[in-house]
Amino acid sequence: MVEELSYYQDLASIRMAGSDLAKYPFLNEAGEYLRESGFGWEELDRPDMKYIIDRAAERVEIEVDGKIYDKLERYEIEILTFVISLVIVKSIGIDQVLKKFALAEARRAEKFLTEDLRKQNENKKGSLFMKILEDLFKLRIVVSEDQRLFKVRVVDYLARASHFHEQEWKLINRLVHKGYVYLDADETVRLIRNELSVLIFEKVRAMTLPTLPQSIKSKADELRLKFLSRYERRITPTKTEYPPCIKHALEVMKKGENLPHSARVMLATFMLAIGKPLDEIVFMFENAPDFNEKITRYQVEHLAGMKGSHTKYSVPSCDKIRNENLCFATAECDTLINPVQFGRKKK
Amino acid sequence: MRYADKSSSVWQEEEMREDKSAAKTSSALKKAFREYYFNHSKAIEEPFKIEHREFGYMQFEQPGMLRHLSFKSMKELDAVLVREAPSDVYCSNAYYEFPTGQPMQEKRWLGADLIFDIDGKDLDMPCVPSHSYPLCIQCGSASPPRHDEQRHYSCSSCGSNKAEYVSVPCTKCIDGSKKEARRLIEFLLFDIGLELSAIAIYFSGNNGFHVHINDEGYISLDPQDRSNLVSYLSGTGLILESIGVRKTNREDGFFIRFPKSGLAYGWRRRIAEKLKIDMTSATKFRNIVNQYRGYDAFKAELERLAKDMGVRIDPQVTTDIHRVFRMPGTLNSKSGLSKTKCADLYSFDPFLDACLLGENMINIKVKTPVKLRLKKNTFNISKESAEIPAYAAVYLMCKGLAEAN
Repeated sequence: MVEELSYYQDLASIRMAGSDLAKYPFLNEAGEYLRESGFGWEELDRPDMKYIIDRAAERVEIEVDGKIYDKLERYEIEILTFVISLVIVKSIGIDQVLKKFALAEARRAEKFLTEDLRKQNENKKGSLFMKILEDLFKLRIVVSEDQRLFKVRVVDYLARASHFHEQEWKLINRLVHKGYVYLDADETVRLIRNELSVLIFEKVRAMTLPTLPQSIKSKADELRLKFLSRYERRITPTKTEYPPCIKHALEVMKKGENLPHSARVMLATFMLAIGKPLDEIVFMFENAPDFNEKITRYQVEHLAGMKGSHTKYSVPSCDKIRNENLCFATAECDTLINPVQFGRKKK
Repeated sequence: MRYADKSSSVWQEEEMREDKSAAKTSSALKKAFREYYFNHSKAIEEPFKIEHREFGYMQFEQPGMLRHLSFKSMKELDAVLVREAPSDVYCSNAYYEFPTGQPMQEKRWLGADLIFDIDGKDLDMPCVPSHSYPLCIQCGSASPPRHDEQRHYSCSSCGSNKAEYVSVPCTKCIDGSKKEARRLIEFLLFDIGLELSAIAIYFSGNNGFHVHINDEGYISLDPQDRSNLVSYLSGTGLILESIGVRKTNREDGFFIRFPKSGLAYGWRRRIAEKLKIDMTSATKFRNIVNQYRGYDAFKAELERLAKDMGVRIDPQVTTDIHRVFRMPGTLNSKSGLSKTKCADLYSFDPFLDACLLGENMINIKVKTPVKLRLKKNTFNISKESAEIPAYAAVYLMCKGLAEAN
């Protein structure tokens, strides 16, 4: 098993104490630590290991529920718990479970990273974590002139925060100056949540499991059964009303006014996404001043992925629609990131 | 459908004459463009990493674009330009492992330069109607600018009421685009932190400017990242919370809590200065919001203000990472002017600096009286046929306002 963990990226230049490893077990030295301690698979069936296995199962369960496992014990226990929870998640073998687990692990690490980054000015420790961020995620962090905040380069910010959906993360809602975005410790660490979770996700995916000791196998089976039923449920539409951007586009069309190309793409991809028949979509454009059935049909078929490169076009995101001035958001749009989500909610 | 009331022989005759004059015009344009590419191969800028770029071009009188081309060197490209004399020449902003691959996924995208497009026609300049010529969609005949475009159009030749408007941009239009370009540069330097040396400004060849960024860091950004940057530059999506106005559960209710990072820079500074918001007094700020009658009204005002202070760039262009883009140094078939680098935006005069065609005289037939100024010469053509220098003749033919005689 220890071999399996040698996949962690090499951070040879960073020496960490055991207590740091307990917080950031995904760093390579956790694997190294286990190797050095001479830990082996057979030990997992020992009665005194039950405590660790139970902890690991608890960690998986809590995290898949979307909460953070925030216990922090002796680092030997923490590291072992983490490693076993990886093995459990791997053997459950459901992608959504792994995704949720990886995300929660990332958020757990984020919490510790934030605390450590805050200590930046108290001692040298902070700079160690700044080095982790730079080495592992190529994110360079600078302390602001007045020592209160951190600065990241605009381009590094864009590459990460552009994928967050909350409006507050848009660059325009940030303090931006001379190539830097100013952030506090929480925000800085939040930037790498996704990369952390991808790191954990990919590593688990790449693991190959040997025959598991019975003690772990039965825990994993038990959890798999539990999660299976949960991930079979589907999200179903509960409303048939169109979102305001689509309504607006339809009204413009109805009046026979000219609708910009980007709005036509939005309208057609939306209708395709909700499963409207092609013919019906084509005739939604019949009032357009330049309507030509043949051309429109070709274009809609193209968007549906039936022509050309056979790429099916997705509905543009709310962000994109806003940028193109096609957004007419109402309160019901508040949490949406794409118009297809309008009127849908989880069962 | 056209000339439905005429006998079929007259119809055919007329159509043939039209085809003939269109062919003549195309061939005159092609000749002038070929001459340009023959004499000005040095004006065409070699793109960085030419072997990773996709090229494309369009031809006179042929629909569609020839795309997915690749050239190993400028010499190869120059040869094609002289041989084909294309109407428009494009190069991808993207770098691909296999630029000729099809479909798109086969190309293996490696990155794309960041570019911005400022188009004069998006600026709603008040001068536009005074130099926009209606061109009948049915029969192609042109008429003088109508100062009131809302008024019902009716073609004097065929009676059709559908027209496209061809604008002959004036210096006011160009100044409008320049102003936007300057504003964009300010944002890029002082907020985004780009080096001045990484920013290249080009006249588009017709009625706008292209701004190309040469900075390694931006090459890998995906469309969403670029869209986020576009929102910043264009002033889209600014929320009240960002400057410290926070909504309460009560309808239209709000309270003030200034952001931890302050209002000292960027958009926050712009808005704070404009609205005279002072971080030392939340009460004063509360009064300002109340002047606008609460959260919702203030929100609408802030959105309007931000749009107004932002730069008008085409979001589609910047977020498209597979686009082929007009090549610097090539001619624009909407005008016959060349896409030209502006060493100094202030003094740049597109009607002089980008007007590079020859002086040889060409005989043309204008479709409507027209006025234009190129290479510091004013042409006021009121007679149907005229002999004018190639650069001006080509300009009018490209605009569709004249034909080769």
